[in-house]
Amino acid sequence: MGDVVQIYEDYNNRADFLTVYVREAHPTDEWQMKSNLKDDVCYAQPKTLEQRVMIANDFVKRFKFTLPFGIDDMSNAANDAYAAWPERIYIIDESGRIAYRGGIGPFNYKPEEAREWLAARYGAVKHEAPKSSTNTAPTTAQPSAPAASPTPATSAAAK
Amino acid sequence: MKRFWKWTAGILGVLFVTVFAALSYMAGSPKDAYGMVRYALPHMHRGMLKVGSDAPDARIVALDGVSRFHIRERTHDRPLVLVFGSFT
Repeated sequence: MGDVVQIYEDYNNRADFLTVYVREAHPTDEWQMKSNLKDDVCYAQPKTLEQRVMIANDFVKRFKFTLPFGIDDMSNAANDAYAAWPERIYIIDESGRIAYRGGIGPFNYKPEEAREWLAARYGAVKHEAPKSSTNTAPTTAQPSAPAASPTPATSAAAK
Repeated sequence: MKRFWKWTAGILGVLFVTVFAALSYMAGSPKDAYGMVRYALPHMHRGMLKVGSDAPDARIVALDGVSRFHIRERTHDRPLVLVFGSFT
């Protein structure tokens, strides 16, 4: 998620962003992972919209998440339309067509590809290299992810 | 004939154990392998969308849990970066 936030900060003056929270990837009543316990991210799979809204709000508060945010309703319409679960990125162009289709997370969830698309169109945003680093400054920074990033994050809602 | 079925069952058994062991290695543990097969694979789809496809619309619930809006409402004269994900 940290990558996505950095991309948002770099390009929100050029592109619109929308994070959509979809069904949980590793809820306590399904495939919970050890990392969820370690990061204290333990939720059952929401059975109602109210539960989904509550978890989404927890996410936004915990990460002080600044991207525009929405929640897929219990029909999972957005998830089904975009084959989005567990995490995925798309870019829709001004004509309403898919301009970039990201891979399915977690293994093929690559925010850097979305960054490349934006950079090709609007130019790369350069970041200062960390002072401790002896390497040449990279073209784009790769900020470290939050301690407990969401799936897309690992998966993004909203990974 | 009985021997044939014994061999078939044996080979399938070995194949099953091998695949499960490989999945366990990939996923991190036998429990994670089970979780992946039981909960993840049924929900993971490549989807039909391709670059150039019309972006589908869907109704989205706002964080207040009450307001609704459509993805299409967010596509104007700039690209829209859509990020899907969850907390866990």
